[in-house]
Amino acid sequence: MATIAPSRIAKVLAGASEPASSEQLIAALRPWRRKLTIQQVLGWGRTGLVTGLILASILLLVSRLVPWASALYWAIGAGSTCLLCALALALWLRPSLAGTARIVDRRLALHDRLSTAWEFQHQESTLAILQRRDALTQLGKQAPARSISLRPRRSFLIIAAIVIIAFVLLLTLPNPMTAILQQQAAFQARINKQIAAIERLRNAIDHQTTTSPEERKMIDQILKNLEAQLTNAKNEAQAQQALAQAQAKLSQLSNPQNGNKIQANAAASSALQSSSNAALQALGQALANGDSKALASALKNLASQISKLSPAQRAQLAQQLEQAAGQASQDPTLSSALHDLAKAVASGNASDINAATQEVANAASQTASATANQGSIDQATQGLQQAQNTLAQAGDGSNPGQAQQGQGQQGQGQQGQGQGQGQGQGQQGQGQGQGQGQQGQGQGGQGHGGSGGGNNNGNKPGNGEQVYVPGQVGSGSSSQTNGGNNGIVQPGQSIPYSQVIQEYNTMAHDAIDNSDIPLDLKDLVHGYFDTLEGQH
Amino acid sequence: MAKKSENTSSVGKQLVTSKEAIDDDAINHASSEAVSTEPGVEDITAFVETAQKLEQELTSIVVGQERVIRELLLALLAGGHVLLEGVPGLGKTLLVRTLADALSLKFARIQFTPDLMPADIVGTTIVTEQVDDTMPSGSKRVFSFQPGPIFANIVLADEVNRATPKTQSALLEGMQERTVSVGDTTRPLPRPFFVLATQNPLEMEGTYPLPEAQLDRFLLKILVNFPNAQDLMRIIDTTVGTQTLHASEVATGEQLAHMIEVARAVPVAMHIKEYAVRLLLATHPDNEDAPEKVRNFVRYGASPRGLQAMILAAKVRALLEGRFNVSQEDVQEVAFPALRHRIILNFDGLADGITPEDLIKAIVEEI
Repeated sequence: MATIAPSRIAKVLAGASEPASSEQLIAALRPWRRKLTIQQVLGWGRTGLVTGLILASILLLVSRLVPWASALYWAIGAGSTCLLCALALALWLRPSLAGTARIVDRRLALHDRLSTAWEFQHQESTLAILQRRDALTQLGKQAPARSISLRPRRSFLIIAAIVIIAFVLLLTLPNPMTAILQQQAAFQARINKQIAAIERLRNAIDHQTTTSPEERKMIDQILKNLEAQLTNAKNEAQAQQALAQAQAKLSQLSNPQNGNKIQANAAASSALQSSSNAALQALGQALANGDSKALASALKNLASQISKLSPAQRAQLAQQLEQAAGQASQDPTLSSALHDLAKAVASGNASDINAATQEVANAASQTASATANQGSIDQATQGLQQAQNTLAQAGDGSNPGQAQQGQGQQGQGQQGQGQGQGQGQGQQGQGQGQGQGQQGQGQGGQGHGGSGGGNNNGNKPGNGEQVYVPGQVGSGSSSQTNGGNNGIVQPGQSIPYSQVIQEYNTMAHDAIDNSDIPLDLKDLVHGYFDTLEGQH
Repeated sequence: MAKKSENTSSVGKQLVTSKEAIDDDAINHASSEAVSTEPGVEDITAFVETAQKLEQELTSIVVGQERVIRELLLALLAGGHVLLEGVPGLGKTLLVRTLADALSLKFARIQFTPDLMPADIVGTTIVTEQVDDTMPSGSKRVFSFQPGPIFANIVLADEVNRATPKTQSALLEGMQERTVSVGDTTRPLPRPFFVLATQNPLEMEGTYPLPEAQLDRFLLKILVNFPNAQDLMRIIDTTVGTQTLHASEVATGEQLAHMIEVARAVPVAMHIKEYAVRLLLATHPDNEDAPEKVRNFVRYGASPRGLQAMILAAKVRALLEGRFNVSQEDVQEVAFPALRHRIILNFDGLADGITPEDLIKAIVEEI
């Protein structure tokens, strides 16, 4: 409880005649305002910078936990945004002169002198003037440079140092996610490359005039969908799955009769070419080439030749045609046409011969159309197979840890059996997949190890013809060993069934002979395989 | 936050307006009908010098009660009455008498007792002999008014809580109206008029505590505390020797009235007014800004008179502190004497021994 300070108040009262205008007050407050603004900008800027660094560090930390290619850019952006926002806010919210008066009052313990003087700056009463002068006198005793420090607090410096160190460490230390990001980038490049290849394939098929428009449209749609799926594929497994699905769809497009027709055509043409008759040889050649003009010409020659032949020669010729018709039994139309032609040749009736030749020409035309369609599908399938192999090869050893289901292709051969084997190699493992198809169905074997592709094939036993058994095995489970990828069972090359059964027979005989199986059981196994051989 | 500030500001404006409306009724002032004139430099200089001398005179005679003297000056220069509370023997009467001496004002002391009647304070009409030559006896008997002790500039109402409420109300009516009605005549009290009432907080037996409405008429309630050892040594030196100290005259009643005018002209910034309003509102338990203590232990908060008391006393304090403006510290400092008798505790507060000082401290810390 101090007594009145006479010296202080007397000094003010003594200078009562001196002017103390509002302009003087404003002029006195301006340097303080400037200094406070600088302090605010620096202070908020520092805080914004540290906040931005914290935010950037958090983002960089996250990028070490999950693959995030653009994390660095986001971190830089977030940090810069924080800093800029802080600076902008500091400038935008800089203290007004009234605010400055209040802040200076508080900081210099001026007991609300300045804020009161500011409020009563336009009053000209004696007390208001004295109060203004008192405020100016008290303010004049202090200097902004001394009273307002621009140095940050020690605690802030410590926090800033910690944050900066953390940020630099996060920025410089190797990121474990970089390898994954590189793999993803490489995968994306491969996918793009395959998409481009599929696009080229699609264009090529679109320009094929021999294929029917409906067929082209369906193939085009399948390939388009595949491109979309590949674009959205996030890993190799998805890409392989999309390719496999597209292949399966293409397989569904192909008419099973087309294969028979082609094979029947080939067999018939082969039989006709082996004939001693030049006209039949030409006919066989035309059938083999699918040349409609040559076929028409050959049939015309044959028709014109028949009238000049003796009955015995016609019978021989009819027998050769009958034999070709038998060879073309898989294509009932062609077989029937050839059979009719044989009968017409045998009879020597010109009208029958003409009708039969027309019938053969029609059957050959259907076969040619089926061949063209099947060719487009095969071309697309091969293109996809190539893409699948390329992806699988590129992924060997570089895509660990992704399980993949083995898939085979649907067996559609009549009474056919398909077997598929897939082998894959990963970084740390090997995998094998096996699939079997019987009467159009197959089962996928288990695949272990890497992501290498596997082949699935099947042969129809019997007449020595090669029968493609796609065998949609598909449902096989897969498991992973040591981080390797599971094998992918993929369609492969066609192997004659007789060869396969022969190999199995040999292996079975060897295995039986070298084992301790009782003799009666050995005989049973031998008998089984002998029976199989005898059936075909 | 901004909304709250806006609300507070608007509340502050409303209360400031209401203050202006009831100002004349609430605070007794010597020149209520006078035209307000701006004080000049000479007036301010005279205020400062007189206040300084007055404080020096009082502190030289009343030892160890600097805070009480300062608060007494705040009330005196703000033109308000004071309730002094303290145990006997702390120099309350001496302080008031010294003040009267220093101001060369008419001083009267009324010792309140249970049998004190209102007429003993305000005066009464008596029959007196008046010379009258026309009368055969040469005189006549007439009723004349005999003024009571209240007709003085400074009235010391000693132990005011010992009188009956009827007697108390006679004094308190004079404090409020600055007039005394006896019979059918209303007589004005001399100006300036200050009542300094004392009450003993210890001996409550047979007392009549002042009602809240009457307590509200005291501008400040000053607690007279026991002096410390150093002050007691000084009391020995100054009071039990051969030398008797007397206060010299510092100012007249007219000068004092002028000083009150000067103090009222001290500018108060808007944010200070808002702060005072927030403080006052925080004494009310139903206010959202009220501290937890206030919510728990207060029955009624301070009235708008408390706000006027704070601002007036803060203005005087600012001048006494050598400033020409009221600061937040001034308001905080005067909040204790201005609000302590205006906060009514509830049963829990009384039972828990909570004092108004605890509550005001909590309010000042939180607001």
